[in-house]
Amino acid sequence: MRRTGAAYHFRIRPGKREEGAHLDADGLGYRRVEPPAPGISRRDLAMLLAGVAGANVMGAATWGALEALLPAGNADTWTKAVCRFCGTGCGIQVGMRDGRVTDVRGDELAHNAGVICVKGSMLRALPYVEGRLTTPMIRRGGKGSALIKASWDEAMSLVAAKFQEAIAAAGPDSVAFYGSGQLFTEESYTANKLFKAGIRTNNVDGNPRLCMASAATGYTQTFGKDEPPGSYVDIDHAECLFVIGANPFHCHPPLHERMMRRKRLHPETTIICVDPRRTDTADHADIHLSPVPGTDLLLLNSMAQVMCADGLVDSAFLTRHVRFTDGDAEIGFEAFRAFLNASYTPEQVSQELGVTAADIRRVAYRFATAKATMSLWTMGMNQRTQGTALNAMLSALHLLTGQIGRPGATPFSVTGQPNACGGVRDTGALSHALPNGRVVANPKHREEMEAIWGLAPGTLNPKPGLAAVDLFKALGEGQVRAALVMCTNPAQTLPNLVAQHANLERGFLAVAEIFGDSETAARADVLLPAALWIEKEGVTGQGERRYQYTPRLLQAPGECRSDLAMLVDLAERLGHGALISARTPEAVWDEWRKVSAHSKYNFEGITYARLKELRGLQWPCPRPDHPGTVRRYVEGDDPLVTPGSGIEFYGFPDHKAVIATRPYVRSPELPTTDYPLQLTTGRVVEQWHSGTMTMRIAELRDGAGPARLEVSPADARRYGVAEGARVRLTSRFGSIEGQAHITDRCRPGLLFAAFYDVKLLINRIVADHVDPVSKEPEYKVTAVKLEVLA
Amino acid sequence: MTWLLIVRVLGTLSCVLAIVASWFVARRNFGALKESPTISIGIATLSAAAFWKLSAFVAIVALPVATIATANYHTFVGIHEVEACSQCHVMRPMANDLHDPSSDTLAARHYKNGYIPTGQCYACHADYGFSGDMAAKMEGFRHLARYTTRTYEEPIVSRTRFDNQQCLKCHQHKTAFESVHVHHDVIERLTSSNMSCLNCHGRSHPTRSSRTPGSPEYQALVKPPVFAEGDHE
Repeated sequence: MRRTGAAYHFRIRPGKREEGAHLDADGLGYRRVEPPAPGISRRDLAMLLAGVAGANVMGAATWGALEALLPAGNADTWTKAVCRFCGTGCGIQVGMRDGRVTDVRGDELAHNAGVICVKGSMLRALPYVEGRLTTPMIRRGGKGSALIKASWDEAMSLVAAKFQEAIAAAGPDSVAFYGSGQLFTEESYTANKLFKAGIRTNNVDGNPRLCMASAATGYTQTFGKDEPPGSYVDIDHAECLFVIGANPFHCHPPLHERMMRRKRLHPETTIICVDPRRTDTADHADIHLSPVPGTDLLLLNSMAQVMCADGLVDSAFLTRHVRFTDGDAEIGFEAFRAFLNASYTPEQVSQELGVTAADIRRVAYRFATAKATMSLWTMGMNQRTQGTALNAMLSALHLLTGQIGRPGATPFSVTGQPNACGGVRDTGALSHALPNGRVVANPKHREEMEAIWGLAPGTLNPKPGLAAVDLFKALGEGQVRAALVMCTNPAQTLPNLVAQHANLERGFLAVAEIFGDSETAARADVLLPAALWIEKEGVTGQGERRYQYTPRLLQAPGECRSDLAMLVDLAERLGHGALISARTPEAVWDEWRKVSAHSKYNFEGITYARLKELRGLQWPCPRPDHPGTVRRYVEGDDPLVTPGSGIEFYGFPDHKAVIATRPYVRSPELPTTDYPLQLTTGRVVEQWHSGTMTMRIAELRDGAGPARLEVSPADARRYGVAEGARVRLTSRFGSIEGQAHITDRCRPGLLFAAFYDVKLLINRIVADHVDPVSKEPEYKVTAVKLEVLA
Repeated sequence: MTWLLIVRVLGTLSCVLAIVASWFVARRNFGALKESPTISIGIATLSAAAFWKLSAFVAIVALPVATIATANYHTFVGIHEVEACSQCHVMRPMANDLHDPSSDTLAARHYKNGYIPTGQCYACHADYGFSGDMAAKMEGFRHLARYTTRTYEEPIVSRTRFDNQQCLKCHQHKTAFESVHVHHDVIERLTSSNMSCLNCHGRSHPTRSSRTPGSPEYQALVKPPVFAEGDHE
C-alpha cells in the first residue's frame, strides 16, 4: 500500500478492471479512487500518532544506545588522595575499577590545579609492582646469613628483646629510631613520642635531616619559627621568581609548570635561575647564573651589599620588623652594611663566585625592585656546610627589600618529601627537637611537653640525640646497639656510603620496608613488611604547611602492616602501651592537633572530617571553621597575628625577624690539585630519591635509563673522555666507576650524577661534612678527580 | 547576517514550503484531473497530470531533500562554531573562559595563541577522521538529548575520556613535544589515551567548582558570550 495523503487510499488490484477505476499512471494496475472523506479519519490519526511515537522511540533508542555504548573512561570510581612522591604534595584522583587502581589523574580542585608529573601519573602501577615484601623476615643466623620468613610475633618479639637488651646494658641512648619524611604524620608523631617520652632517648632522627634540616634552622634563625611564610599560590603573583639551588623542571614539575603559567600570562615576570648546571629549569629562565659550586653565599651577600649600598632596602620595613645581629649581639643596620662593604662588593666576590659583577647587580636590582619577588630553593641551598647561613641569608634578602608578606613576595623553601614538613619538622621527630618548634635543650620546652603528654617532670632527656650521619656512625662504633629504620633507604642515601655501609653491618637493625631487596634491607637483621601509600590511611603535610588526607583504598598484600601498627605493637612490647594510647590514625591525629593548640603551629581546627572533605588545609588553623592560613605573619590571614599590627613576626619575643651577618666560609670540598673537579648530585624527573619505587615501574625505569656521570665538553677534551666511556671518579671518601655522558649542561670543572641508581651508588664518594647548626651533610659539593678506564 | 544564519533561514523556509506543498498535493483529486486537462502558469501551459506530478515531486522529494541538506549542513558545519556550543548555558563557562584573555586554561591558551582560527571547540573535541566526526556527532546528540530533557546536573562532567589524539595530531613530531624526554617514556600510554596529557599540562576548562551554581564565579561564567565579528567565519 502506498499512501500519499491523509484522505486518499490507493489499492493496487491487478487484473480485472472495475467500474469507476482508472488505469494507474505508472501502469502497475488499477485503482479504485474513493471519494474524499471530510477531515482526518480515525485510522489516519492513529497512524499519524503511531508515526510520531515511532520517531520518538527511535530518538530515545538512539539516545539510550549512545548512553550505553559511548566509552565511559577507564575507571568507575574516583577518590581524592595525595601523591606518594615528592614534597609538592599534589592532590590526585585515584580511579578504580573492580577493586584495582586503573588510573591516576591530577585533582583539578587541589592546590596543583590538576597538574601532576610523570611519576604521579604512573602511581597507578605502584600498588602492583613485583617484589613486594609480604612477610616478616629474620636473619636467624646473624649478620651475613640469609633472611628467613617469620611470623609477626616472632619478628616483633625479637626487635623488642634486642631493644630491651640494649637499654638494660647501656641505657636508653643505645637505641635509635630513624624515620622518614614519607611516613604519615601519625606515624612520625607516635615514633617520636614512644622514643622520647617512653624510652627516653632523643636518638630520633630521619631522612629529613639529609634534605630539610638547613631549611628548618634557616627559617627558625630568621623568623623564630620553622616552615615557610608563603604558599605555592605566591608563584601566581610574583613578578620575579628567584630559583636557586633547585631544578623544579625535573624535581617539582607541577611547580615548574606553575612558574611557566605565570610567565605565559605575565611575560614581564622575570625568572632567575642560579645553578652551576644549565638545567632544564635554567633553559626556561630569563637569567641563568652559574656560580662555582659551594660559593653561592658570596652571591647572596653581594646582592645584599648592592641592595644596601644602592638604596634598594625598605627602611621603614626594617625599622618596624627587623633586628640585626652579628650572631652574638644586636648590631645596627650601619654595622650590617659595613660588614657587607668590607668583603662582599660584586667586584670583590665575582672572581671566586664565577659570576660577573654586572650580573650580580642586575639580579640584585631585579630582586629588589620587582613588585613582588618570590625565591624558591631546595637541596642546592640545604645540602651544604653553610646551609643554615644560605637559607637565612636568602630570607634576609626578602626582609631587606620588604619582599615578604604580600602576594608573590616570599622566601619559599621547596621540600623534597611528601611529609618531611608536616610529619617530621612539625612533630619534632628529629634528634634535637620536640613537637611544634620546641627543642630538647630548652628546659621550658621540655616542661611544656611533659605537661602536654602528662609525663612526670624530668622525663624528657635534656641531651640532644644523634643526627643522621652521627647516628649511623654510633651504630658502627657500638654506642647505638639497636635501631629501627622506617620507610627510608639510608644504605643508599647517606653520604660517604663506604663507611656507612660498614656501620650498618654492625648494630642490630630492624627495617620496616616495602621491598626485600633495597640496599638497607640487605643489611637488616629483621625486615618488617610495610603497607604502602593507599594501603593505609593518614595525613601528610607538604611544603606549604598544607595537611592533606590519604584514604585507605586497597588491601595491603600478604601480611603487610602500617608503620603505625608496628609502632603500637613495639610500644606494647616495650611496656609503653599506656603512653601510646592513641592507636588508630584518626585517634593519633586528634591527639596531635590538640598538642599543636599549645603552640604557634596551632592546627586544632584541622579535623579528619574536614581533611576528608577538603583539598587539604594550611596551618595555622585554630578553629574548625577557620579556612587556614595562606600567608603567615600577615594580619587578616594569619590568626595568630595581633590585630592592628599588619605584619608581625611573632616567632621571637620582640616580634621582629632577624638578619644576621653570615660570613662566607670556604667549603672543604673546593677544588684542589689532587681533586681538581667538583661533583654535584641531583634527581631526574622519572626517578624519585633512591628509586626503590620508581625503578620498579617500567616506564619510569626505562625512561630514566641507567644513571651516568655528566662531564662538560671541556673536561671531556682535557681528560680524553669519549661519550659512553667508562670512567673512575675518586673523592676523599671513596671511588666509583661509571659511564660518562658528555653534556654542555655542566660548566667546566663540574660533574653531575643522579643518585637513584644502585648500579652507580654515587653517595659512596659524596662528602659527609655537615652544617654545624643543622647537621645536614654537604651532598652538593664534593671535590673529585676523573680517570678514564681502559 | 552570517552565512550560518542564511542557511538556517533557508532550511526553515524549505521545510515550511514542503509541508504546505505536500498539503496542496495531497488535497488534489487526481481522479478529477480530466476535467481540466491543462494548467497555465503565466506563459507556460502544461497538462494537469504533469503539473501535479511535478508538484508532488517538489513537495515529497525536492523540498525535503533541500531541508535535510540545509539542516545537516547546519548540524555538521554550523555546530563546528563556538557559538553553536555555547547556546546551551552549561557550555557557556567553557566559551567564556575560552575568550578570557586572563585565563590560563589550556582552552584559553590555545585560543590566545591563534593557531586554531575557527571552530575552536570542535578543533579539540572531534576526533580525527570521519569516524571521529561521527563519534563527536553522537556525543553531541547525547548532549542534545540530555539538555532538552533536562536530565543533567551542573556542573557537567565529561563522561568520556578525552582522546589524546586530539592533542597529538598537532603536537606530536614537533620539536617542542619531541624534545621533552618524558614524552618518550610514556608515548604508548599517551597515544592510546591511557594517560592523560592534562596530567602534566593542567586544566583545560574552568573547574567544576567554579561551574557549580552558587559559586562566586558562576554568574560571570554562564552569561551569554559576546562574539566578536569574525569569530565564526
